[in-house]
Amino acid sequence: MAVLEIVASALRMSVPILLAALGAVYSERGGIVNIGLEGMMIMGAFWGATGAYFHGPVAGVVWAVAAAVAFALLHALATVTFRVDQIVSGVALNLLAYGVARFSSITIFKMATTTPHVPKFTPFDIPLLDRVPALHPLVTGLSPLLVLPFALVPLSAWVLNRTVFGLRLRACGENPLAADTLGVNVFAMRYAGVILSGVLAGLAGAYLAMEHVGMYVEGMTQGRGFIALAAMIFGNWNPAGALIAALLFGLAEAVSFRAVEAGSAVPYQFIKMIPYVLTIAVLSGVVRRATPPAADGLPYDREER
Amino acid sequence: MKTSWRLIILEALTPLVAILFASLVGSVILAGIGKNPVAVYAGMFRFSFQRFDSVAAILFRSTPLIFSGLAVALGFRAGLFNIGVEGQYFIGAMLAAWAGFGLRGLPAAVHLPLVIALGMAGGALWALLPIWLKVRRGVHEVITTIMMNYIAYSLVHYFVADLYMDRGQKLFMGLGSPQVRTPHIAESARMPTLHGLLAGLGVELPRHVYLNWFFPLALLLAVGFYYLLWRTPFGYEVRAVGLGADAAEAAGIDTRRVLLRTFLLSGAVAGLTGLSPLLSYIGYLDIDFPKNYGFNGIAVALLGKNHPLGIVLSALLFGFLDRGAEGVQALQGVPMDAIAIIQGVMVLSIVVAVELMTRYVRRQQKKEAVS
Repeated sequence: MAVLEIVASALRMSVPILLAALGAVYSERGGIVNIGLEGMMIMGAFWGATGAYFHGPVAGVVWAVAAAVAFALLHALATVTFRVDQIVSGVALNLLAYGVARFSSITIFKMATTTPHVPKFTPFDIPLLDRVPALHPLVTGLSPLLVLPFALVPLSAWVLNRTVFGLRLRACGENPLAADTLGVNVFAMRYAGVILSGVLAGLAGAYLAMEHVGMYVEGMTQGRGFIALAAMIFGNWNPAGALIAALLFGLAEAVSFRAVEAGSAVPYQFIKMIPYVLTIAVLSGVVRRATPPAADGLPYDREER
Repeated sequence: MKTSWRLIILEALTPLVAILFASLVGSVILAGIGKNPVAVYAGMFRFSFQRFDSVAAILFRSTPLIFSGLAVALGFRAGLFNIGVEGQYFIGAMLAAWAGFGLRGLPAAVHLPLVIALGMAGGALWALLPIWLKVRRGVHEVITTIMMNYIAYSLVHYFVADLYMDRGQKLFMGLGSPQVRTPHIAESARMPTLHGLLAGLGVELPRHVYLNWFFPLALLLAVGFYYLLWRTPFGYEVRAVGLGADAAEAAGIDTRRVLLRTFLLSGAVAGLTGLSPLLSYIGYLDIDFPKNYGFNGIAVALLGKNHPLGIVLSALLFGFLDRGAEGVQALQGVPMDAIAIIQGVMVLSIVVAVELMTRYVRRQQKKEAVS
């Protein structure tokens, strides 16, 4: 029972990480590093909660995605069109998101750091399985936003590996010059990758605010945008890998909560470090070699080739 | 010759263009919530510069940003992106606090320098793994430093909440719960304020202003930064590596050694960032210790175009924006978070402006080379 509860809690914790990590996969496979995921997630969380507060959960999701995509467009404009350093642009977006969320919160709700409670999607149970009491933590009280990300993993793998769009996107991340020579619109593809990462980071924020907590609280993303980036690296820039990493990181988070309750010998702060330590280990080749797309992070400039 | 002068002036103007554009965006936002932008900006200036204590408060606020801005810029000059200033100053503050409350009975002449040195050592220590991985295994420093930031947050949290939490706090009438913080830092490790010096110059500051000797120290460090980069052989190597590592390597510069030393130095400077608030008005390390100086330092370095003078000026600008925002929030009911938006827009527009400028310059130079 207790094990199942931890698994259920780990699954819930991994959802925002997984969504944002899938977004990062699209963006980086197209050659654009997205450090701004955290900011996009903050936008998704705040505007998701606001939309849900005024017009219900569906509006919440729409607003969340729209706000995060607006930020993604800024990132694409800065990095693809103006070829600004991608890290710099991402850092600036994170600063901006923090300010926009606080400012909007105080103008709309007269409170800088939280929104009121917001309505959730009606929870549902998986039919038949919900008759087994032992499985209850896993199959009851589910949200569509909880199930969707796991469905997006095979879909993303298919899109990236089996469709024309995916092939072109990956080409832009590996060798934009070659892609351009073959008539692929590198700029459009890179915009698409960044926008998709905005959509998914927005969903991640919406899930956090609407389903996980039930309101927006400042700082609720807690660096999950960066953990998502770590999950993408850990998963070697693949949807399936990102899933495994997100589950692992979600488990670390779930266990760190339990550690506080159980009074474990290892302080929970050290359990919380696991994702970050693992990512450094992967990057340094202790676990295995990381292989980013060849042109990841490099601006593409037609005139200079 | 004529064109090159024009280019230098244009280049100096780019940050101003960015500031102007950001204020314009700010005006639109202010108008959007029904405030008169001109009145708000005028209010910010009045509030900030009418009194000496307000000016001193600006200098106090900009002090950490000068340190973090210089730390980031030092990395940039060698082509390194130190996103880890955030974690480095947290570890620096942790070690400094530890020596600050842990050691008692030392004379201030020994205690204070020791605490500052430990702060710098903490920052350098936290920079060590990322740069070692970079030069040894080719791991990009951006991701590793981000990861190190979060490890630092957790470590400091453990240090403050579990390891060294002050259990001897006296609660008011025995009510409430104790603060999650370390014991107070000894008087001998506190940084003296500038009140004495300024009183000698005829300026009396009230006690609630904590402007201290870290501010002149930051200015001195900015001068040192300039001297190191433009007046020493090492600085020449740093800039050469920053402009092109392969070319520098071919010219006989030991690139790895330069990268390693520059990054450790950047970490050591980063370690100073949190010390001004820690050793003056806060006086202990707690779970609410000011965050984000590291990330704002990136903004300061970019706006200052990685030049020490520019960094000091943009740190002062950020200090002014903070202080002025507080003023207009109190006096005109403008949410001070509008300023955070302006700062974000400023960074985005400066980098776009610099990029466009660089391209324009390159085109001009090509033209000149042809003619």
